Amino acid sequence: MATFYVTEEQLAAAVGRHEGPAAFGAGLTERLPWIAPTPGALDVAALSRPRAAQSPKGFFLPALESLGRYGTSAGTGAGPAEDGRDIVLVGVRACELRARDYLDQVLRDGAFADPTYSRRREQLLVVACDCVDCTDSCFCTAVGGQPHPTGGYDVNLAPVGDGFLVEAGSERGRAWLAERLAGAIEASPAQLEARDARRRDMAERVARQNADFGLAVADADPPTLPDDGDPAWQAFAADCVECGACTNICPTCHCFYLYDQVLGAEQFERVRNWDSCLLASYHRMAGGPGMKLSPRARLSSRLANRVLHKFDYSPRQYGLLGCVGCGRCVEGCLGEIDIRRVVQELRR
Amino acid sequence: MSEATVQNRAPAGADAPRSIYLPEPATLVDVRPMTKQEKFFRFQMARAEGMKYMPGQFAEISLPGIGECPISISSSPTRNGDGSFEMVIRSAGAVTAALHRLSPGDRVGVRGPFGTHFPVEDEFRGKDLVFICGGIGLVPVRSAIHYVLDQRDDYRKITVLFGARSPEERLFIGELYDLKTRKDVFFQETVDVADPTWGGNVGVITTLMPQLRLEADRTVVIICGPPIMYKFVLLELRKLQVANRNIYVSLERHMKCGVGKCGHCQINGLYACQDGPVFRYADISSVREAI
Repeated sequence: MATFYVTEEQLAAAVGRHEGPAAFGAGLTERLPWIAPTPGALDVAALSRPRAAQSPKGFFLPALESLGRYGTSAGTGAGPAEDGRDIVLVGVRACELRARDYLDQVLRDGAFADPTYSRRREQLLVVACDCVDCTDSCFCTAVGGQPHPTGGYDVNLAPVGDGFLVEAGSERGRAWLAERLAGAIEASPAQLEARDARRRDMAERVARQNADFGLAVADADPPTLPDDGDPAWQAFAADCVECGACTNICPTCHCFYLYDQVLGAEQFERVRNWDSCLLASYHRMAGGPGMKLSPRARLSSRLANRVLHKFDYSPRQYGLLGCVGCGRCVEGCLGEIDIRRVVQELRR
Repeated sequence: MSEATVQNRAPAGADAPRSIYLPEPATLVDVRPMTKQEKFFRFQMARAEGMKYMPGQFAEISLPGIGECPISISSSPTRNGDGSFEMVIRSAGAVTAALHRLSPGDRVGVRGPFGTHFPVEDEFRGKDLVFICGGIGLVPVRSAIHYVLDQRDDYRKITVLFGARSPEERLFIGELYDLKTRKDVFFQETVDVADPTWGGNVGVITTLMPQLRLEADRTVVIICGPPIMYKFVLLELRKLQVANRNIYVSLERHMKCGVGKCGHCQINGLYACQDGPVFRYADISSVREAI
């Protein structure tokens, strides 16, 4: 597939011509991505910064969303029709694409397809971007990833000097490029070589900053960890304050709660919001004395469950690690629990 | 939470397909008290084809604006020619307490059926069957018991052991009597604590097990009861040399979405709502959180 070169101005103009809202994943450090897709100008400089504080998960699986109305006056049983139509996500990183592939497995593929997720998944146009900078907590290469996308995007951007190398990854992406960047010139061999060199440098940098953790795992090669009853988990649980930040910020955490909102007499709306397996209430069941009312009554078993879900259960369930090495939970944790260190210290 | 805060609001009456998360209308057609805590319910779906399910599956029952909870189906598909289905619901929380206040003709929401079922048409056929039920654990197993009794010739010896905490907590008392008097079923029951009305066995359910004369290689055992019961029943079954692959259990978790996505009923790498609630014990014997 041909690779093109565009200047920053050409790229900004191309995205600016988009008719619907465009959300810029790289520029969201001060915004919650699921609240405000930003129409208008593209913050080109953000594409050369590390990945944003929040992932674009909320565009695919909003923190709070309606799953449809029902009742005698609504009465249709239909799900919502309008979702991510016309939104272009710009600056989605390799780890975030990998996280979305994981969400596909859980929410879209299998026996039941989640209707709103599946629809957004089709509607959102994904313009990905190579990482040319990283945060201290980035560790994609330690979990079998790379800091540049290798697929799963409609369009990919690779920052090179004063512009970008642009590549389509899907028919839809090709059409988008053809319409908006018709005048772009094909990238020179020297530009391609410069991009590849930058990718190698970036991968080395991420690997170097994680060398001490010794965390060389992959989808097909997950670590062996002790079960949740092992006392070793308790040392980490002592630092956990059960805030749920790690699950909210995680691009693959997808657990949700369902409830009904009363809209009026005989009219209801089924709503879902993100839930967190770190919270005691998440596991609660009904029942009287003698029943096991919470299968994970101890915080240490809840913390273990989150880590084991990422590194043990998901590889067995989906053939994919549930951790893409974005490092957001490392940044978000109030107790300064570093998942890299958890796995490093507990693996057998 | 105010209505205005919900993102991505759904337009009413949109032309989208029915969501897997939205309840279908159903009507309560019969309700009877069973014990102090449990009531018997029969529901009929609004859709013409009724409920299509197999023994051991569950459905999400909801009351609009109050909530939704997973409940096992207690009737057998061999007896629901009209498409209705039965449940026994213990009043244990907000939704179930509200369900207890319903009267015939009232509307409920239903999603399902979901989950795995007892292999009544596969592994159970041609086998000796031993059902071991504790308390409300009888409820999902009743579906399988009715199923195999309705196709009695497809199975060999049928044994039912039932234990309740006390005589007043016994469920389906008339049906227990029928099981006791049937010639083609070996039935034994016990209560943990007797009262002056009780003339039968006293003791936990495992006290009934030494009298079992099993041919282990052609016996399938089905267990459902409170969590503590599994441990002790499984120990007894090991003494009787029943292989783990010939044991089926039905597990309870909070199946919130029912479709393997929301995470609430996850047991290590399994979802109770999709990989269960009926599990072959050999498949979960090494899963630490399961039992």
